[in-house]
Amino acid sequence: MAEILFYVLSAAALLFGLGVVLAKSPMMSVLSLLGSFFCLAVIYLLAGFQFLAAAQILVYAGAILVLFLFVIMLLNLGELGAIAERSNSFLDSTAARIGAVIAVGMGVVGLAAASRAAFQPVRVEPGKGLDGLEAIATELFGRYSLAFEAASILLLATMVAVIALAKRQRRGLKNGGRA
Amino acid sequence: MNVPSEHLLFLAAGLFAIGVLGFLIRRNVIIVLMCIELMLNAANLTFLAASRQHSTPQVANLDGAVFSIFVILVAACEAAVGLALIIALFRLKQTVEADSLSEMKG
Repeated sequence: MAEILFYVLSAAALLFGLGVVLAKSPMMSVLSLLGSFFCLAVIYLLAGFQFLAAAQILVYAGAILVLFLFVIMLLNLGELGAIAERSNSFLDSTAARIGAVIAVGMGVVGLAAASRAAFQPVRVEPGKGLDGLEAIATELFGRYSLAFEAASILLLATMVAVIALAKRQRRGLKNGGRA
Repeated sequence: MNVPSEHLLFLAAGLFAIGVLGFLIRRNVIIVLMCIELMLNAANLTFLAASRQHSTPQVANLDGAVFSIFVILVAACEAAVGLALIIALFRLKQTVEADSLSEMKG
C-alpha cells in the first residue's frame, strides 16, 4: 500500500515539477511547485522522516512559497510574464540542449547505480519514524552543534543583507526623486 | 515502506534534471529561482535516501536528515535574498526577464 502511494506520489512530484518549468504564468508555476513540495513531504513521511516532512511543509510551503507568491503579486507578473516568455522555440536553444544532455547524463548515472543492486530496503517499524524528534535534536545539538551555530550566523547575515537591500532601494528612490 | 533506496534516488535525479532544464530554458528570473528550489529539494531527497540506506533497524543514521535541515535553511536564506534582489531589479529595469540583464556582458 505504502509502496503504491510512493510511486503515485513520485509521478505526481515529477509532473508538478514539469508544471513549474512549462507553466505559462508564474502563478501557475508557484502552485505547481507547491504541489511538488507537498508530494515530497508525504514521501519523506513514508520514508520514515517525520520531522523533515513537517519542516518541509512549514518552511517550504509555509514560508518560501508565500514569499514567492507575495513577490509575484507585488510585481504584478501574473499576465505580464506570460507574454514575454519564450521568444524562440525552446527546443532550438542551446540551453535546452545542455539541459537535455544533463538530464540524460543523470539518467545514465541513475541506471548505473541501480544496476549494481547493492541497495537493501530499510525496514521501519510502523508508527515509528527514523528521525524521532529527540534523536534529531541530540544530533543537531551534539555532533552538529558547530554547524548549527554557523547556520544561525548565516540567518543573521541573510537578514542583514535583505535589510540592506531594502534600505538602499529606498535611498535610490529618494535620489531619483531629487534628480 | 519497502521501496528500495535507489528509487528515491531516481526520483531525486528526475527532479534535479527538471530543475536544471527549467533553470536553463526559462527567462523569468522568479521561475529560475523556483527551479533552484526544486534542485535543492532533489538534493534533500538524495541526503534522505543516503540516511535511510545507512540506517539499520536498530540504529537510525541521521546524518542525512541533519544535512537536509541545513539545506532547507540555506534554501530559505537563498529565497529571501534572491527575491529581495529581484524586487530591486524590477525597480531598476521594470522587468524580470533575464535577457534584459546584460550590463556585465564583456
